[in-house]
This record gives sequence, C-alpha cells and structure tokens, in this order.
Amino acid sequence: MPGPVIMRAQLRSRPANGHAAFLPQIRKLVFEYCDKWPTSHHTRTFLLTRLQALARENPHVEVVVKQRNQKEPIVRGFYVNNRDKVIPLKELEVTAIQKKVQLLLDASGAKIVPLKRRAVESTTEAARGIWSGLHAERPTL
Amino acid sequence: MNHVQRRLVSTAAKLTSVSPSAAVAFPPPAALRRAKGAFATDDFDADGWAHVQPVPTSALVAFANRIGLAAIFDSPEAIRQACTHPSFLTLYRQQCPSKRLPKTNAQLATIGNSLMGLFATEYIHAKYPYLPTRVLKATISAHVGPGSLDSVAREMGAAPLLRWHRSHETENTPPVLHADAMASIPRSLTALIYQERSLPAAREFVHTYFLSRQVDVRAMLKFFNPKKSLLEMVQKYGRELPKSRLLRETGRFSNSPMFVVGIFSGVDQLGEGFGASLRMAEYRAAEDALMRVYLTQTPPEDLQLPSSTFPSVQGNIYAAGPEGAYVAPQIAPSDILYASSGRSRV
Repeated sequence: MPGPVIMRAQLRSRPANGHAAFLPQIRKLVFEYCDKWPTSHHTRTFLLTRLQALARENPHVEVVVKQRNQKEPIVRGFYVNNRDKVIPLKELEVTAIQKKVQLLLDASGAKIVPLKRRAVESTTEAARGIWSGLHAERPTL
Repeated sequence: MNHVQRRLVSTAAKLTSVSPSAAVAFPPPAALRRAKGAFATDDFDADGWAHVQPVPTSALVAFANRIGLAAIFDSPEAIRQACTHPSFLTLYRQQCPSKRLPKTNAQLATIGNSLMGLFATEYIHAKYPYLPTRVLKATISAHVGPGSLDSVAREMGAAPLLRWHRSHETENTPPVLHADAMASIPRSLTALIYQERSLPAAREFVHTYFLSRQVDVRAMLKFFNPKKSLLEMVQKYGRELPKSRLLRETGRFSNSPMFVVGIFSGVDQLGEGFGASLRMAEYRAAEDALMRVYLTQTPPEDLQLPSSTFPSVQGNIYAAGPEGAYVAPQIAPSDILYASSGRSRV
C-alpha cells in the first residue's frame, strides 16, 4: 500500500531576507527629464549636482538617466520582484526630489495594501504557546 | 487610463529592454535591409535580436554589489559568464553566426553544484544527526535544490541578467526551463568564489544565502506506521516496550471528543498526542515520539563542520595551508526503516 510521498518539485526553502545577509530590493533607478521645459529645471539641477554622490553611496543600484522631451520629469524604480514604482517630480524642489529618491531606494517594490485584513503574519509558531484547557492546571478551591 | 495601458505599465519591468549604453546600432540594420524581391522585411526576429544584445556592464556591477561580492571580481566579465547559460549559444549562433561565442557557465555550474551539495550535506547532517537518510536528502534538495536556487537568484535580481534560450524536450536532451537556467547562476557564483578566494569563503556564501533560509523539516517526515516504527526504535535502543496511556479526555460520546494520549517506555514519556478518537491520539503520540528523536538538533555552539579542515588559502583545495580544527562527533545509530516492510516511499 503506497504511503505518503514527498514531491521533488515541491522542495524549496522560504526566504529569510536579513537573517544572515540583507539583499536590497531595488535594482535600478531611471530618471527621465526634459531638456527644455521649466518643470524639469529642479530635476536637471538634481541630476547635475546630487546624482553622482547618490550613485556612489548606493553601489547596488543601477542608475540610468534618460532624456524624455516635452514630458514631465519622473523617476522610476525597478525592483527584484519585477514591479516598478513611478514618482512624478513635476512640482518638487531639489530636497524634495532627494526625499522621493530615498523613498524608492528604501522600498521593497511590494504592492501597497491596506493593513486591515490580517493582524499578524508570521512563519513561526506563537512564542508563548497556545493555551490548551486539557493541559492547564485544574482549578482548586 | 484604460485596462490595457495599465497592464502595459505594470509590466514595464518585465519587458526585455535593450540598453542604449551598450553601443548598439539602433534600429538594427537587418530590420531595415530588404532582400531583393522581398515584399517586406518580415523575416527579422526582433525578440531574438533583443535577447542577444549584451547586458549593460552597470547592471552586472550593481548585481555584484548587491550580493556583497564586488571586491572579488576585478572585471564584470566573470559575472557575465556566470549569468550565461549554455542554451544561449543556440540563439547566439542563429543571430550572430560570424561572431565569437561567449563563455558560458556550464563548467562553473557543475563545480558549484558539487560544492553546494557538499556544504549543505555536512551542515544538515551535523545539525540533525538522527535524521533519516531520505529526509536528509530531501532537506538538502530543499536548501540547495533547483527550486530554491531559482528563488534566490530572482531575489538577488539576476533575472534581467540571465542569458538563455528555452528549448523543448527532445529524445536526447531534457528541456531547458527558465528555472533551470536561473538555478545555474548561484551555482556559478559559488564556483567563482571558490576559484577567486577559497573553499571556506564559498562555504560562507552558501551558508549566508541558502542555508539560512527556512525549511520545514518536520513536514518532510512522513510516517506510514508510526507505532511499528517506534516499537522498532525502542527495541534498537534496548528500552522497555512502548505503552500508551490515556492522560486526559473530554467529551467522550459527544460530537467533539478530545483525547490526550502519552506513549511511555517504562516511566519515561516518549511522546504525547491529541486526537478526536483514541486511535488517532495514539497515532499522533507515536509520531511525536519519533519526531522528538529525528528532529534533535545539535546546539549551534557545538556545531562543527568537516570542511573547516580546508585551509583558507587562495586557489584550489590542493594548495597547502594551515588547517582548521575539527573534532568528529559521536556517530548516531543508523536510521531504522520507518515504513512497513522496508519499502519506504519517502
């Protein structure tokens, strides 16, 4: 009589990013700006003054600068989960652009979902154990 | 924005994109050239052309920095080789028949596969000395098998760097799937670290990225007749025969009874199990007793690995150098066949 079997294709491990080493989730930043329009002025300033320092501080990110004429400036972040986040830089000053870029660098690329559905998500059991009436002490008077 | 545009936007990250910094002639001349007498240039394979274009060097360098190996590689060509699967040559010969073939990761992947198997085996065997052999092998596959390697490679961000070509199953060759091609990348990286640094360095890489991930070993222990297996184990250790005793019960003859049964060998309790019937509770108690033996872990401070004896000198393992310390632990009794009549299906 055949017993339970382990399927070879099902054998895989679950991720534990950060337990031993941390893999940053962002892999590429693409800046798209217009050469002429005044809405891209702050973006152009940022690209000329602050971009190289940013790229040097984050060597794990591929930084790409693309000219996209007659359009508003954007920054696009590509992540390892094959998603991308786009942030328009239209009415932002240089410091605000820096903050938005830092937001992209810190993000994981996961879809932003409301936290109303599940209270706790964990792969490990409860640390304090689950109470069992059959294992608790009987009450005494 | 309608649904088609939203779908295209969401998959921008998934499209094969050709980097302008790769100094490639665009639009490709073959796309514009028209053969004499041809009606249209419809024999140009745009997808094949795009897949054959080289990966930008900045992406390879960023990848090396992301996995913490930037100091090891003096040029990104080593990473380019590690990310080129041998199946890519088929496509390359079709698209660029006159160019020199790129280096592939076939040899590196083979060395890396052996190394990863070595590190995973010694680690899991040292960590779970009583684990049955088949479950040990399944745990090794879970840690460094193709499924996990594919996941880790994608989490590292190697998917856009991979160069491969899908091939269907023929009578002599197995199919090449995306997961197989992706799995070759971590193997090649392990082999590169072994070549550029040393075996202990490669071991450190495998421990960090693969052996630190979560694997549910308990779920891989499957029993066919745990009571019989427990009887055989107790006889092997020369203890009194197991006897099950009812410890707690509630709700007998109701629609939701609950029984807690313990299995004892003399006065020592070996395991405890619950169930909605006496038989189920006894079954779980036997399983629990077996799990307690099989899943015994060595404390991390006592964990010793035989590969510590290899010296940390650059080069291969045959180079001389100071050896690390290793004290062989006591060998655990060999596992009993815990399925009936020796035919273990696990």
